[in-house]
Amino acid sequence: MLEYRTQGYNGYSVKYSPFFDSRIAVAASANFGLVGNGRIYILGLTPNGIVAEKWFDTQDSLFDTTWSESHENQLLTAGGDGSVKLFDISLSDYPVQSWQEHAREVFSVHWNLVGKDTFLSSSWDGTIKIWNPNANASLTTLPTHSCTYSAEFSPHSPSILSSVSSDSHMRVFDLRTPASASNHLTMSIPIHTPPKARMGAAAPVGIPPSEALTHDWNKYRDTILATAGVDRMVRVWDIRNPSGGPIAVLPGHEYAIRRLTWSPHLSDTLLSASYDMTCRVWTDGSAMGVPPANPQNMMDASNMSLGEGREMGRMGRHTEFVTGVDWCLFGAEGWCASTGWDERVLVWDARAIMQ
Amino acid sequence: MANQTGRNSQAQERLSQVTGHLSGKKGRQGLLEKHADDVVVTCALRTPFTKGGKGGFKDTAAADLLHGAFKTLIERSGIDPKLVEDIAVGAVLAPGGGATEFRAAALAAGFPVTTSCKSLNRQCSSGLQACVDIANAIKSGMIEIGIGAGAESMSQQYGPQAVTEFSELLESHKEAANCKVPMGVLSEKMAKSKGIARADQDKFAAESFQKAIEAQKKGLFDEEIAPLKVKWTDPKTDEEKEITVSKDDGVREGITAESLAKIRPAFSKDGSIHAGNASQISDGAAAVLLMKRSTAERLGQKIIGKFVQASIVGVPPLLMGVGPAAAIPVVLGKTGLDKDDVDIYEINEAFASQCLYCINELGLDKAKINPKGGAIAFGHPLGVTGARQVSTLLTELKRTGKSVGVTSMCIGTG
Repeated sequence: MLEYRTQGYNGYSVKYSPFFDSRIAVAASANFGLVGNGRIYILGLTPNGIVAEKWFDTQDSLFDTTWSESHENQLLTAGGDGSVKLFDISLSDYPVQSWQEHAREVFSVHWNLVGKDTFLSSSWDGTIKIWNPNANASLTTLPTHSCTYSAEFSPHSPSILSSVSSDSHMRVFDLRTPASASNHLTMSIPIHTPPKARMGAAAPVGIPPSEALTHDWNKYRDTILATAGVDRMVRVWDIRNPSGGPIAVLPGHEYAIRRLTWSPHLSDTLLSASYDMTCRVWTDGSAMGVPPANPQNMMDASNMSLGEGREMGRMGRHTEFVTGVDWCLFGAEGWCASTGWDERVLVWDARAIMQ
Repeated sequence: MANQTGRNSQAQERLSQVTGHLSGKKGRQGLLEKHADDVVVTCALRTPFTKGGKGGFKDTAAADLLHGAFKTLIERSGIDPKLVEDIAVGAVLAPGGGATEFRAAALAAGFPVTTSCKSLNRQCSSGLQACVDIANAIKSGMIEIGIGAGAESMSQQYGPQAVTEFSELLESHKEAANCKVPMGVLSEKMAKSKGIARADQDKFAAESFQKAIEAQKKGLFDEEIAPLKVKWTDPKTDEEKEITVSKDDGVREGITAESLAKIRPAFSKDGSIHAGNASQISDGAAAVLLMKRSTAERLGQKIIGKFVQASIVGVPPLLMGVGPAAAIPVVLGKTGLDKDDVDIYEINEAFASQCLYCINELGLDKAKINPKGGAIAFGHPLGVTGARQVSTLLTELKRTGKSVGVTSMCIGTG
């Protein structure tokens, strides 16, 4: 396990470069992101450990970052002051572009993986904005009317994007639809929808709504998304059947889940980061040859688990809230990086903790 | 007060957001978790409730009843009176809200001058509001230990003087003028318009009596009742004697739906409401000791319950009885509970008609409602019942080993 200390800055998000297997960006904030400066670190993985190749300081906290899909040296930051900034790591000190449209803290930024000329941002002001790096103003604003913690383009289509927000809903937008009164909204799924009743088990009822903090599109199955948040459950959804409830529910985290990401290599494998100071690896049970859930999981007190999914391992080396985690796109299929409020970035191999 | 216009408020909002992520575990499981900053109840008790005008407390002032409740509270909980910072007393009929005499009662009961005392009036739910006020004051950090209480002598203070004449301005506003319609009359109308038959009301009332008498016989009230020694004038001989009241004297044996069916309606000839299926006029007092869990643990106080959440919803004055049906879903929503997550509901029986309506409207399981009877059986001293319901609820939850309770009441004027 490699380690880097973001001295004085508490991590909020970590992302592997899509171009280099040895480059990681970390968005971090002073004073736990409550008040004060932000800093974006560009870290290099070298034979001598992790070294900071560069960093940029910002006036306000940074909550998320994403690499440009079209330019190897550029990346975006999500700022507490409502700004979205584009930095070029071959330059110094200042961003190449800064967009100030959001009225409140920006919580996520994400580059379009298919049509590489757009990116999005989502904010506490209840909107998602679509941008082109060459335009001075946003292209489209999609309202969610609710603090939107996470928004993402589908990795399978340039015009489909999704979000989760504090109103406990997952929304799917399709930019090809006419911008009518629904503002491209094609689907709005209550995340607290109980799973369908199964043979031999009563359907759970009355699951209370709770803030959804993170979600991710499966990289192989184009209708599958996973969501998670304050109620500590990871849920897997198939948007072909939006009213059918989750197809898998994975309980286990002891506090809210802050970040969720599907493996770029394995279609059934998820990684989560939580306020309970752990990162956990999960299978949603969809892959062939996965051993059935162990009896302990079946005995889960709340009996909330659904499907054959299970926790495959956990990494408990962080000593504070874990806020960011990401998979390496290259090389062996288990490398990942995590960051958290303990001012540390850890780079580790998930295969070492999987059972 | 603090200026909240600058960056401080932004930091505050970000902090409360993260706090929300951590404490966001809603629902029954989250509610049953124990945290150091929970507001908890360590003692809840009441005097017996006695019949207005003829019961054991007919010659005792409300403040004296309160004094008795306070003394027993100090004795039973073993709390050092010096540590109690504030007392809120719900009272409806006392002139001037009773603020003066309740403060005096607190001092006489052994609280030092540093323990402040206020009275408040939210009609029938004043006692409940007193407990909520104290819980909120503790939650916000204004005080650390407080008492929510209620005191009412309907024998001495019930009458037309309780409401002043309405001005022309109020009379000319339709909904405002409705506030003056006597509760019996409007409940009668409501029962009629909502189609609640007399037979159902009588059945409900008889059950309240039967549950109460059974509970009384088994001694289920003994734990929450503080017996009181008072002066009492025998109406036959005019002789003043000292008696000890330790039982609710409004609870009558042998009441059945059939026996209630014979009583003449009180408010209109073809009406359905009568003395037997409405709450009794009573005297009594109740007190609930509240503090933070961490404080209770430090002082070695025995924790008997946790205050979770309160809600209040206004309803039209003419339909004031539907209050619980409006407020209970709100509090369940706030706590993320399903109605079936709740083990016991204490819903005040102002009238069998309105209580029945709320139960049906919410689709509650009747077995969970007022398991030891309610105000129809042992009386409704207006400002006290809310605090009484807290003690009755917690005692019953403890006895039956259950965990989640809801207490609710309707409020005159909606």
